[in-house]
Amino acid sequence: MRALGPGSVSSLLKIVLDVVYGLMLFVVGVLVVAAIAALLFKIDPAVVKQMSIDGLPAERLTQGPVIALLLTVVGLYVGGVTVVIHRLRQIFTTLTAGDPFHPDNVRRLRLIGLMLVTLELTGYAISAGQVWLFPGGTREETVFSLSSWFSILVVFVLAEVFREGARLRREAELTI
Amino acid sequence: MPIRVQLDRLLHDRRMSLTELADRVGVTIANLSILKTGKARAMRFSTLDALCRELDCQPGDLLVFEPGPADIEDEWV
Repeated sequence: MRALGPGSVSSLLKIVLDVVYGLMLFVVGVLVVAAIAALLFKIDPAVVKQMSIDGLPAERLTQGPVIALLLTVVGLYVGGVTVVIHRLRQIFTTLTAGDPFHPDNVRRLRLIGLMLVTLELTGYAISAGQVWLFPGGTREETVFSLSSWFSILVVFVLAEVFREGARLRREAELTI
Repeated sequence: MPIRVQLDRLLHDRRMSLTELADRVGVTIANLSILKTGKARAMRFSTLDALCRELDCQPGDLLVFEPGPADIEDEWV
């Protein structure tokens, strides 16, 4: 099976990414609405008792602003992942068209790398802020993931590979 | 770029249009325009051969060196 072009593995992955992207947008939308609702409406303590969030004392869940803050943080995180998925979709569109070294792919890969760095650092910040915001809760330790940082570096290296590929493509276009 | 392609002058001298040359050489008008406007980065020997044959000239008639600053690497990515 071909890796590039119409009807290839790339086009299959593009379809998968389209579906995931749609789902992520839906989740972000739900989180935004829920965050606004948590600020506007009073939460019934009876409903909250049935809810359980790891590391967060149940009594704090009755406070609308706390819930809104939680939902906003989760929404921002999911939004970041959505941006990564969106850029991946754009890259796979060019792969499906059989044009992997499109100049825009360099910027897209760099943005994916930066977004992954941001998401990773956000994870550490959430972990650190958990104790400060919710002193009564149990804290989940965030482990420094070497494989995550290795993957991020690979993305930046790939961006440079694509930059070189795009340069060579440009050279080929201007060779008559 | 310090190397210039004198396609305009040669075409004028031979009373030949760019379209006619493109047909004879087998290069698209778009690519000949890139050559003519000095945007080309390189020229294949096969293209040079065809141009010299159809314009009845030497490579030195087609290409001239004009001292000047070299091109700065494009900042397009």
